[in-house]
Amino acid sequence: MSSPNGLVCFTNCLLPQEDGKLVEKDLWIDEQRGVILDAQRTFYERKERPGKIVDLCGNILSPGLIDIQINGAYGFDFSVYEDDQAYQNGLKNVAEKIVETGVTALVPTLITQERSSYPKLLRHLHPQRGEKSAHLLGWHIEGPFLQMAKRGAHNPTLVISAAGGLKAFEEIYGSENMGFTEDWLMSDSSETGRVGVRIITAAPEVEGVLDAVYELTKRGIIYSIGHSNAPTDVASSAMAHGARLITHLFNAMPQLHHRDPSIIGLLGASPHLSSYFSPVSSPTASTPKSTFRRSLSLKSKSILPGIFNGSGKESKKSLKATSEAFDDSDSPPLSPRSLLYQAATMARTPVATLDRPFYELIVDGIHSHPNSVRLAYNAHPEGCILITDAMKILDPNLKDGVHEWRDGKRFVKEGIKLYLEGTTTLAGSVVTLDTCVRNFVKFTGCSLGEAIKCATFNPARCLGIEHRKGTLRPGADADFTVFDKNGDVLSTWIKGKAVWNCS
Amino acid sequence: MRLIIRDDPATVGQYIGDYIAKRINDFNPTAEKPFVLGLPTGSSPIPTYKYLIDLHKAGKLSFKHVVTFNMDEYVGLPRDHPESYHTFMFREFFSHIDIPPTQINLLDGNASDLIRECNSYEEKIKKAGGIELFLGGIGEDGHIAFNEPGSSLTSRTRIKTLAYDTILANARFFNNDISAVPRMALTVGVATVMDSREVAVVVTGQRKSLALSKAIEEGVNHLWTLSALQLHPRSLIVVDEDATAELHVKTVKYFKSIERVQEEVERYHAELVAKGDPHADQGVGSME
Repeated sequence: MSSPNGLVCFTNCLLPQEDGKLVEKDLWIDEQRGVILDAQRTFYERKERPGKIVDLCGNILSPGLIDIQINGAYGFDFSVYEDDQAYQNGLKNVAEKIVETGVTALVPTLITQERSSYPKLLRHLHPQRGEKSAHLLGWHIEGPFLQMAKRGAHNPTLVISAAGGLKAFEEIYGSENMGFTEDWLMSDSSETGRVGVRIITAAPEVEGVLDAVYELTKRGIIYSIGHSNAPTDVASSAMAHGARLITHLFNAMPQLHHRDPSIIGLLGASPHLSSYFSPVSSPTASTPKSTFRRSLSLKSKSILPGIFNGSGKESKKSLKATSEAFDDSDSPPLSPRSLLYQAATMARTPVATLDRPFYELIVDGIHSHPNSVRLAYNAHPEGCILITDAMKILDPNLKDGVHEWRDGKRFVKEGIKLYLEGTTTLAGSVVTLDTCVRNFVKFTGCSLGEAIKCATFNPARCLGIEHRKGTLRPGADADFTVFDKNGDVLSTWIKGKAVWNCS
Repeated sequence: MRLIIRDDPATVGQYIGDYIAKRINDFNPTAEKPFVLGLPTGSSPIPTYKYLIDLHKAGKLSFKHVVTFNMDEYVGLPRDHPESYHTFMFREFFSHIDIPPTQINLLDGNASDLIRECNSYEEKIKKAGGIELFLGGIGEDGHIAFNEPGSSLTSRTRIKTLAYDTILANARFFNNDISAVPRMALTVGVATVMDSREVAVVVTGQRKSLALSKAIEEGVNHLWTLSALQLHPRSLIVVDEDATAELHVKTVKYFKSIERVQEEVERYHAELVAKGDPHADQGVGSME
């Protein structure tokens, strides 16, 4: 039933604020335009009040959840292309069904592909939204510019260097897919010709990547550090070049070492040090000890002397696939690089940089131990972003067992654990984002409002769309998730209309 | 004048809320004959607003046919500033009830011609048929609306400089920064209030007790503008125990006795009306 004047007032509800507090307040929206209203101005200036009142019985009216890393769901893998029709249907199906997990916007994420697959896939991943489905915000790509030793479930034969910097990125993804003028929020309804690039995950120590970061960032593309063995100074340098995000923190990166805290250590970076801290030390070889000969081709002496001069130790366990969550090689502590290197990389004027990056956490209790989740959150609450990193098998209604994946591989679902068949490699997750929110409250002891912020306002801020998404500000999209006080999703709203109801 | 004494601000709000609800419901307002209500801002009326909202939510009171006029507004403060009286009224009252926005009147402190704004406000009140009931609060210096000490008791809606006392008292709403408090306001005059057919004033808290004493135990005096109510044929002041601190015991006892008599008379009168006495259709009036 719609409102006679198109205005709706949500009352008797708690509104999550941008500071993580829950405040008892009404919210007015325009259900025809699908936007949140400035209630007071609507009242005094437009001289209208909502013709329809929705009593939420004391529950929480949250901005819709945003998942910035999700590989697929409901049997559809964003990385698998069969034909245009099947892909469009798959996208549509995910966007329509995912709302039952409280998600109203997502960034479909591709893992490392055959080179020829990128143009086919990316053509479909421009920003788009249906009337009753979650908003697809563009694409997030992990790979192929990854650290071999931290490739996780990515296909090792496809992992390459980015020699040539930005050019390498453009060659792989297609320069037409990395344009300057994006229309993230689809201000017009045209469905074609949109550029969907949002997030690129690459390892900063891989040849050419750091060179490209500055340019990527300048184009409004979010460069995310991930699948990397970067020592502290390289990680810090990536920040100085404009890196904004860390991909699934703790996973596929060196563990925290106190003398060389690497990527994880960025969460503790001090704004009071004029440049990143790097003690003078001999430029000793730091060795990711990549276990594949292929890594030799990644050598990058010109840029990062020492990083890729693999020790040559070929580990016997190299072929045993192991988890993204645990190191599959002897990771750093890597020794800090020389100041010379630092000077060389800092010479360029950085684009607007952050003191500390946003970071993604998979809060399924498996990819990161609850204690680690709490550590990270306490270190840098403002940067925390909850993600699912979910695989196509994500479907709250699906049974445990063996399921088809891709390239003839299969994976095993055990509750919310997901392994490559016959291995202990965690292959993404099957946790839903609303479950992550509830887990996060348990793991960190934060309030539900603060947990919601990590799945709404923080990801929106990372993407630079916090005026339209992840917020209840006037003018923002009326995409909502209604939670009860336990964090269970009661209903989901898109553009001011209820699209899913738990009952 | 009637003085009603209750234990605390909440019960004061309840009394006056019930009173207003009864007046509106007895008036039986319609689109053609709306009930015209004058409204204040400030901390004293908040319990009253809360109670009126409760009555509305319980379905016992509707504002569909109520027209409101607010007493005052700061000059130069943006309408959506958190301390503007537009914001206050929306937040504390209007957003929670069913009053149509077209029936709300507030002075525009950002009007280009402030004098014309004031004059047209008086016109609007007149056109609405005058104010049926003006609800008010007072300042520590006894001001009603922004009619600061020394205001003419025959004043009309106009621009008013705020007294230093008021600026100090309001600084707490502006980060304790005295320089951020607006110096001017538009306000209805004492005579505008006196013109309404009935005035009900809320006075709560020890800090208002001297003003209460000055206004009702001494003469009519422009230094305590509330005292003008002594000349109003139908006025009601509802206070809490704290606010009586400066009153004589005799005063308190007198007004308490009036309340009892009033109740008896009203009950007796209601019985007469129930019996269908043809002469009993007029209001009871006040027993003081």
